[in-house]
Amino acid sequence: MKIQHIAFLLLGLASATVVKCNVEGDILYSQKKAWKDPNNVLQSWDPTLVNPCTWFHITCNNENSVIRVDLGNAGLSGGLIPELGRLTQLQYLELYANNISGSIPAQLGKLTKLVSLDLYHNQLSGPIPSSLGNIKSLKYLRLNGNGLSGIIPKKVLDLVLTGNLTEMNVSDNELFGTIRTSKKRVTTITQDAKISS
Amino acid sequence: MESFFSQKSLPGLLLLLLVFSVYPKPASTSLASQGRVLLQWKASLRSQQSLRSWNPSTSPCNWSGITCSLRRHRVITVVNLPSMGLDGPLHTINFSGLPSLTGLNLMFNRLGGEIPPSIFTLSELISFDVQGNDITGTIPARISSLTKLRSLNLSGNKISGSIPLSLGNMTSLDFLILSGNGFSGSIPEEIGDLQNLQELDLSANFLTGSIPQSLGNLTQLSLLDLSLNHLYGSAPPSLANLQNLLVLSISNNTLTASIPASLGNLTRLIKLNLWGNHLSGPIPHEVGNLVQMTNLVLAHNSLLGSIPLSLRNLSKLSTLYLFNNHISGTIPAELGNLVEMRDIDLSHNLLTGFIPSTLGNLARLRNLILSYNELSVPIPSSLANMTSLILLDLSNNQISGCIPPSFANRSLEELSVINNSLSGSVPNLTSLVSLKLAYNDLSGHLPPDVCRGGKLQHFTAAYNKFHGPIPESLRNCSSLVRVRLDRNNLTGDLFDHFGVYPNMRYIDLSYNRLSGMLSPKWGSCSNLTSLRISNNRLNGTIPSEIGQSTRLGALDLSSNHLVGELPKNLYNLISLIELNLSSNQLSGELPSEIGKLLKLKRLDVSGNNFSGVIPREIGGCKQLISVDMSTNSFSGSIPYEFGQLVDLQELLDLSQNSFSGHIPSQLGQLTLLQILNLSHNNLAGRIPPSLINMASLSALDVSHNELEGPVPDGQLFRRAPMEWFTGNRGLCDVVAGLPSCSSSPPRGASNVIFLSGMAVLGALLLFFRFVGFAAQLMKRRKQIANGTSQTGGAAFSIRNFDGGDAYDEIIKATENFDDKYCIGKGGCGSKETTAFSFTELHCQQEK
Repeated sequence: MKIQHIAFLLLGLASATVVKCNVEGDILYSQKKAWKDPNNVLQSWDPTLVNPCTWFHITCNNENSVIRVDLGNAGLSGGLIPELGRLTQLQYLELYANNISGSIPAQLGKLTKLVSLDLYHNQLSGPIPSSLGNIKSLKYLRLNGNGLSGIIPKKVLDLVLTGNLTEMNVSDNELFGTIRTSKKRVTTITQDAKISS
Repeated sequence: MESFFSQKSLPGLLLLLLVFSVYPKPASTSLASQGRVLLQWKASLRSQQSLRSWNPSTSPCNWSGITCSLRRHRVITVVNLPSMGLDGPLHTINFSGLPSLTGLNLMFNRLGGEIPPSIFTLSELISFDVQGNDITGTIPARISSLTKLRSLNLSGNKISGSIPLSLGNMTSLDFLILSGNGFSGSIPEEIGDLQNLQELDLSANFLTGSIPQSLGNLTQLSLLDLSLNHLYGSAPPSLANLQNLLVLSISNNTLTASIPASLGNLTRLIKLNLWGNHLSGPIPHEVGNLVQMTNLVLAHNSLLGSIPLSLRNLSKLSTLYLFNNHISGTIPAELGNLVEMRDIDLSHNLLTGFIPSTLGNLARLRNLILSYNELSVPIPSSLANMTSLILLDLSNNQISGCIPPSFANRSLEELSVINNSLSGSVPNLTSLVSLKLAYNDLSGHLPPDVCRGGKLQHFTAAYNKFHGPIPESLRNCSSLVRVRLDRNNLTGDLFDHFGVYPNMRYIDLSYNRLSGMLSPKWGSCSNLTSLRISNNRLNGTIPSEIGQSTRLGALDLSSNHLVGELPKNLYNLISLIELNLSSNQLSGELPSEIGKLLKLKRLDVSGNNFSGVIPREIGGCKQLISVDMSTNSFSGSIPYEFGQLVDLQELLDLSQNSFSGHIPSQLGQLTLLQILNLSHNNLAGRIPPSLINMASLSALDVSHNELEGPVPDGQLFRRAPMEWFTGNRGLCDVVAGLPSCSSSPPRGASNVIFLSGMAVLGALLLFFRFVGFAAQLMKRRKQIANGTSQTGGAAFSIRNFDGGDAYDEIIKATENFDDKYCIGKGGCGSKETTAFSFTELHCQQEK
């Protein structure tokens, strides 16, 4: 009986979360579950609320879409879930100075309103997804102080030329290759010396 | 719920064993030796209090949980020790010493270790139940030597490995319950040979592969539970042969394809649960043949089409869960005939049209959830006839019209109509636990007796057009947890309408027309995390008691008429993340205690009458990402500790104050800051060159101060509009529109670029002047020699000589200077390792 009860309980919980929440709240709540949160900074993230706009560290626009996630210095560990790429109105993803590991999901490239992607000072690994080059609105890209590897995708560098990128910091990673930059726009690029330019 | 069958059947079987344990074979061991076997096991257990009656001085047949045969030569036939708190190993029972055993029930203890091989000597064993223990290891293939076994229940243990094929030889098995273990691999085809099987429960394991066709041979089966595994493929049509099936559950797997129409043959089926698969296609019309059905659960799939009308035949149906599919069309009015219905959840589909008024006939219905559809027509007043209804969730549709007055005084506990197009007033609901009305066009007064039942926890009416007072009954509503009445036209005196709420976590009354003073009682809401009463007409002072709500993370009292000084207690609110007191008439100084707010991310005290010096302790609030202190009467110098707030990103606004002294050069450390506004103060001296390090700055305003000297030569400033700098004493250079610095260049230590640039430019100019002078001299000599004379022209041509290129050359040169300068200084992020980093500035004059 015990196991069946547990199973039924699980089903019951699944029902409670799915029935009463919305897409963006769902996504952020899934992200909460994927993280360890030793400081309880995500305590207010209640998936049964109509939207996540009253949660701490979340800012919404007037249409109740999430535009900011402010979780720098929050002591979080765990990975980034690909579904974050479905927060379609997100402008600021501030997750700097945590212990976030794993790779940067390519789906973040779907955040076409993103202005600032601050993932610096974490433990991210793997490549910088070239899909980030789709974010023409991106002004600030700070990925320094991780374990990112591979080359910086051309599409991302092209943001200097074709997008709004004004600051890119990729220093203190395991990146290599060549940075080909535009001289037509004013941009600050901070990088390791082993990346030639 | 499926387990009820197995739970009913197993004790029944055991009873059978107890009554008819007339043992056919002569026992090969004596009762006394069998007792010794059990006493040895008892001695190996860590906790054995419950076996106090197991005593060598009495006959084992008198021990608790022991049954003996009724023959003259009595032997132990059944060991029945459920939930006895036994803690220890299982393998210390020497089963070969108990050959007469027919029943062994050790369920819900804490027995560990593996299944001992000696158990396979129990050739008479009929029932073996160790459900709910900590048994590990695998099922040995030898288990099939237990040829008389009718019931095998290993559920809720930690047994892993694959299900042995040899199980297929145990043709006496009636009950095979292996749920809640770690079994992996696929379901053996051979299970289909167990022709007598009545219950097969393999749920909550890690089984993969498809469901074997052979299961269709198990025609005696009444329960088949394969839920919570990783099974894939389609449900085999052979399942339609299981004519005796009462419960079929394959939920939480990854089944694909459509639901086989042949399942309509399972006419005895009571429960069908296919929740959480990837099933597609329509719900087969044939489901309507399952007239015994009480529970139909097809939620969390990709089912299409409409709800089949044939469901009207399911007159015993009490649970209908179709949520999270792509079901379209309207809700059939015939559902109103299913009078046994208790739970209906059709949420998260594409249902359109109206809610059938016939649903009002469902007198036993407790939960009706239709949220997240595209329902549009008004709510039928007949819904209020559902006298058992506890939960009604119609949120996130496009329902228009009003909430029928007939709902007044009903027993409804939870009502949610969030996000619809409802208008009109709300009936006087009285016994609610949760009332969610937000995001509609509702008007009139809020229901006055909303907390008369004393149970109200969640009350959300935000984003409507309610007017009039806060409901009377809220004052003593100590059950409240979450209240959102923001963005309405509520009026009245706030002081009177709220009491003490020990469970309150969140309250937002912003954007109303509430007046009166803030009650000190808010300080007694010890669980409050958010208190938002912005944009109202609050007056008086902020009561010092508010400092007792130490869990407060957000305090927003902006845009009111609050006066007086901030209570010192306010700085006890060390959990604050957001503090917004802007647009009031607050006065006094900010004390040094502000540095205790270590979690503060947003601070807005703008638009008040604060004065005095900003304490340097502000530098301790290291989490700040936005600070707005504009439009006050702050004076003194800007504390350089602002430069320690390196996470500042959104805004630092100190404008419209009376700050004097210099701009602290430490502000240059705010490399993430996007907007810096220092305008309309009395700041003097030069703009510190360190500000060119503010790489993220997109807007700067230092206008209307007493600043002078050259604007630092950084990329931001070269493109900056002049408005950022106007109204100062004498700023010059760099910015288009500002005058050039006529006097000697500045001697700032960090102006190497500028100096170098000037040096190169000067050298070039001197060189060209010299060359030009020489050329002109020669020309003049020639002219004099030729007798012709030209004036002007030549001197200008030298000065204009390819000026653009020269400028570019200088910029390129200074880039190099810049790199060297950064590395030399060691303040631009250089590292101890060889992988030093440097800042590279790529700049070109934009035309």
